Amino acid sequence: MKKYLSITAITLFTAMPIVAAENQGGEIFYTKEVKTVLFSHKLHVEKRELSCDLCHARNFEMKALKAQEKLDFNMKSLMEGKYCGTCHNGTMAFASNTRCADCHTGVKRGGV
Amino acid sequence: MKQHKHDLDISSNQGVENVPMQERRQFLKMGLAITGIFAGGTIFSAVSVIDRVFASTDEFTAKYPYKPHYGMILFQNRCIDCERCIEACSETNHVPHEGYRTRILMKEMPDAVGLKREFTPVLCNHCNIPQCTRVCPTKATYKNSENGIVMMNISKCIGCLTCQLGCPYNARYFNEEKHAVDKCNFCFDTRLSKGEKLTACAATCPTGCRVFGDLSDKSGDLYKAVHQLERPIWVLRPEAGTRPNVFYTKDVLPVSFK
Repeated sequence: MKKYLSITAITLFTAMPIVAAENQGGEIFYTKEVKTVLFSHKLHVEKRELSCDLCHARNFEMKALKAQEKLDFNMKSLMEGKYCGTCHNGTMAFASNTRCADCHTGVKRGGV
Repeated sequence: MKQHKHDLDISSNQGVENVPMQERRQFLKMGLAITGIFAGGTIFSAVSVIDRVFASTDEFTAKYPYKPHYGMILFQNRCIDCERCIEACSETNHVPHEGYRTRILMKEMPDAVGLKREFTPVLCNHCNIPQCTRVCPTKATYKNSENGIVMMNISKCIGCLTCQLGCPYNARYFNEEKHAVDKCNFCFDTRLSKGEKLTACAATCPTGCRVFGDLSDKSGDLYKAVHQLERPIWVLRPEAGTRPNVFYTKDVLPVSFK
């Protein structure tokens, strides 16, 4: 709970605008290195109220699936604090080496 | 302490549910479960609960009848349902699309604390006491006497499908092309007999979920993963009493990436 509060506080202090629900990029299914890794804008922007710049200024281009074209887009990089691992490090959000199946939603969940 | 004497023939069984809590606890501490007769305030029948803790007592402590004794352990938390194992298996063993030799089951708990989804890969358990071979009327399916793999002799199969009913793990499918039942054989014909050390599924798994090997090899990864007390080990449907050679476990610590 505490970490969500602090994230919200950061958002408020920096006075980032929260993007309207219909224009937030939707759900992205990554296909490399493994299939069906889900990134949900809805979860991150609406529920967690994170600002766009939190990810798009540093780790991710605005164009969807650009990140997976890079060769180091894998779990090892995430553990080293790159890409999703910038926040998913165990302090801001759950660490990249735990809760695998939360992001890896599986083929059965309708991913590619 | 003075021992009470009871005549079992005279005493009626008061039922396991009437055993006092204190007594039940004492027995559980000793690693025993009360099974049968409780009469005159004394327990007359208790069995070891070690089977519930370990997949199978015999497997845990002792000898493996086959050499090599093939088996697999699956780290359930590592499975991400990428289905690479299914693809590799289908390609290697020419599995028709209507059948499967391995597949992945999913459980979702939206209200769970933390992780909300879990995948369980399943395959033939290559049981030590296989029910499929027992019920086969033509001995078309049999347990290989050298390596313990439950195999099919396609030419003997009459397609009666009794083995499918006998198998507690749903690990068999009917192959229209061969006109016979087919199943996982740990890639014996396609890989192991050609010198490969791993099954197709274990070799392709990107997360190291599947550890395949020889259970009787004490220096092997499989032996080390099964014979330890730090992680719980279980088998699927232990109540079927088939003594599977496919074990399941979970990482206690976070997953490490290579």
